[in-house]
Amino acid sequence: MTPSTHNSLAAAKSRLMFALCALSTTAILALLILAIATTISTGAHSLNRDFFRLNPIPPGMDHSPGGMRSALLGTAILVTLASLLAIPIGLLTGIYLAEYDTTSHLATPVRFVCDVLAGVPSIVVGILGYELLVRPLGSFNAWAGAAALAFLMIPIIARTTEEMLRLVPASYREASMALGAGKAKTIFQIVIPAAAGTVTTGIMLAIARAAGETAPLLFTTLLSQSLNPNQPFPSLTVQIFDYATGASRPQQSLAWAGILVLVSLIFVMNLGVRLATRARR
Amino acid sequence: MSQPTPRPSLLTPDRILAILTKAAASTILLMLAALLIILTLAALPSIQTFGRNFLIGHDWRPNEIQQSLHAQSGQTEIKILPPSFGALPVIWGTAVSSFLAILFAVPLSFGAALFLVRATTRWLAEPISFLIEFLAAIPGIAFGLWGLFILCPFLQQHIEPPLNAAFRAIPGLTWLSTTNALSGHDMLAAGLILAIMIVPIITAISRDVLAAVPPAQVQAAVALGATWWQTCQEMLRHARSGLFGAVILGLARAAGETMAVAMVIGNSNRINLSPLAPAQTMSSLLVNEFPTAGDLHRSALMEIALILLVMSLLFNITARYLVVGKPPQVQTP
Repeated sequence: MTPSTHNSLAAAKSRLMFALCALSTTAILALLILAIATTISTGAHSLNRDFFRLNPIPPGMDHSPGGMRSALLGTAILVTLASLLAIPIGLLTGIYLAEYDTTSHLATPVRFVCDVLAGVPSIVVGILGYELLVRPLGSFNAWAGAAALAFLMIPIIARTTEEMLRLVPASYREASMALGAGKAKTIFQIVIPAAAGTVTTGIMLAIARAAGETAPLLFTTLLSQSLNPNQPFPSLTVQIFDYATGASRPQQSLAWAGILVLVSLIFVMNLGVRLATRARR
Repeated sequence: MSQPTPRPSLLTPDRILAILTKAAASTILLMLAALLIILTLAALPSIQTFGRNFLIGHDWRPNEIQQSLHAQSGQTEIKILPPSFGALPVIWGTAVSSFLAILFAVPLSFGAALFLVRATTRWLAEPISFLIEFLAAIPGIAFGLWGLFILCPFLQQHIEPPLNAAFRAIPGLTWLSTTNALSGHDMLAAGLILAIMIVPIITAISRDVLAAVPPAQVQAAVALGATWWQTCQEMLRHARSGLFGAVILGLARAAGETMAVAMVIGNSNRINLSPLAPAQTMSSLLVNEFPTAGDLHRSALMEIALILLVMSLLFNITARYLVVGKPPQVQTP
């Protein structure tokens, strides 16, 4: 690089590039705002009481397109089941990585594999679920869907838990140990409470991620209106996909309302996480 | 027999926790092993049947089709084409759509990252960063819906007709034009939707990588009289391996994304050079064909999934080594 304070060409180029950088940022934000505004304006009028109260009605059966009740309940059940599996495993792994042998022959590959698993396309996880829990059982079912979602949540929870536990000062642990507490007692009564807020945010992010997944559910739960877990199972995202790619106008607008609900949920969770972690810093 | 020595109980809370955490950590390794082993086993019939031809075959035809040929003698001859599984069209689709996404996303992302690191104050950078991270958390199905109902019709009406005419008119670019009806559901739409999806990932990681450039590097450039852009260039140069890692992570997400692409790409299993023609990616093929696939067809789809998995592993491992000491702030799927 040559010093060029007096080079007006360089100065002009610099101003141009600055403007382009500002423009890039504006363009990204404008796209986001455009997408959100369209979702609100298209989806909001379908977001009435029926949306939450009625089950989907097949097109042509009725003037009303029905609602998304079964789909919303289905997603809530799937995410709850997935959390029951993923939160313990994710938390324990995070504790292992942060509190036990942090550089052992086990911890290093586990940390590495967590990062790699977080980048595996979710559709591949859905196909694993199909092979392990759909084909042997002979039917699409809720358990396979929940397991696939848990598979996606575990690496996120494990890594955020590890990072958050590491932020707890070592002096807390030393003080607890010095007072005679064992390792388990120190972890559960001192370290985890100190990091509870931020660990929870990691779990929230994983839940938000799971609630928005579609591809893995297409291969594991498919779609139905019945909440029998041993049969094809409803979910908000697959229902939205089904409606969006169909030809029925009223159903398409239900899909928009579904996206509005989903995106609002994710916005609220992200905002909560942001505020919680900012208060900690 | 010697006197039994008093041993510590096996079931103290400390030991239980040590065992449980170790078991949980081992589960993670099992998860990756399960992915690799199960998919390989499921793909085995296809690997054995097609071998190398799977990767270089350019016909993906799950069912046999009858093709009527007009023979020279004047009578119509019916030829039956057997099923054929060649993955090249979908590998092509994934490669080109991801390449287009990178092409559109990288300048925007680097621009925004530089803006956030070098041009704004905290009170502006924080909310912008939050919005960009929120964009990263929006699921693919939402982008798919936006693509399907906003982007595709817009492209079809306003962008593609003049673009196709331009491709046709400019010598040397005619291979980019298409004679198909312009539907708006094509490779270009997929590339654009993917670009919007990976912009937040690349922006967030490059912002962190740029912020980690030692201040002395920037101050030295300023002291030498460098302009704002020249110091930025110096930062970009200093952070280039991390920036490359950010791009690879974006590429990994683009190549693996399923729903958004399946909804806008037009789903055609043919290789077409024009970005204005419908195409198919590996993941959109799985969405479209898996539910109705028979045995060998399903195994062939499993092999596609295996290729997708191995590809994402390679991308993620490469990116991890490039973004040294800077774990990504955004979880990539």
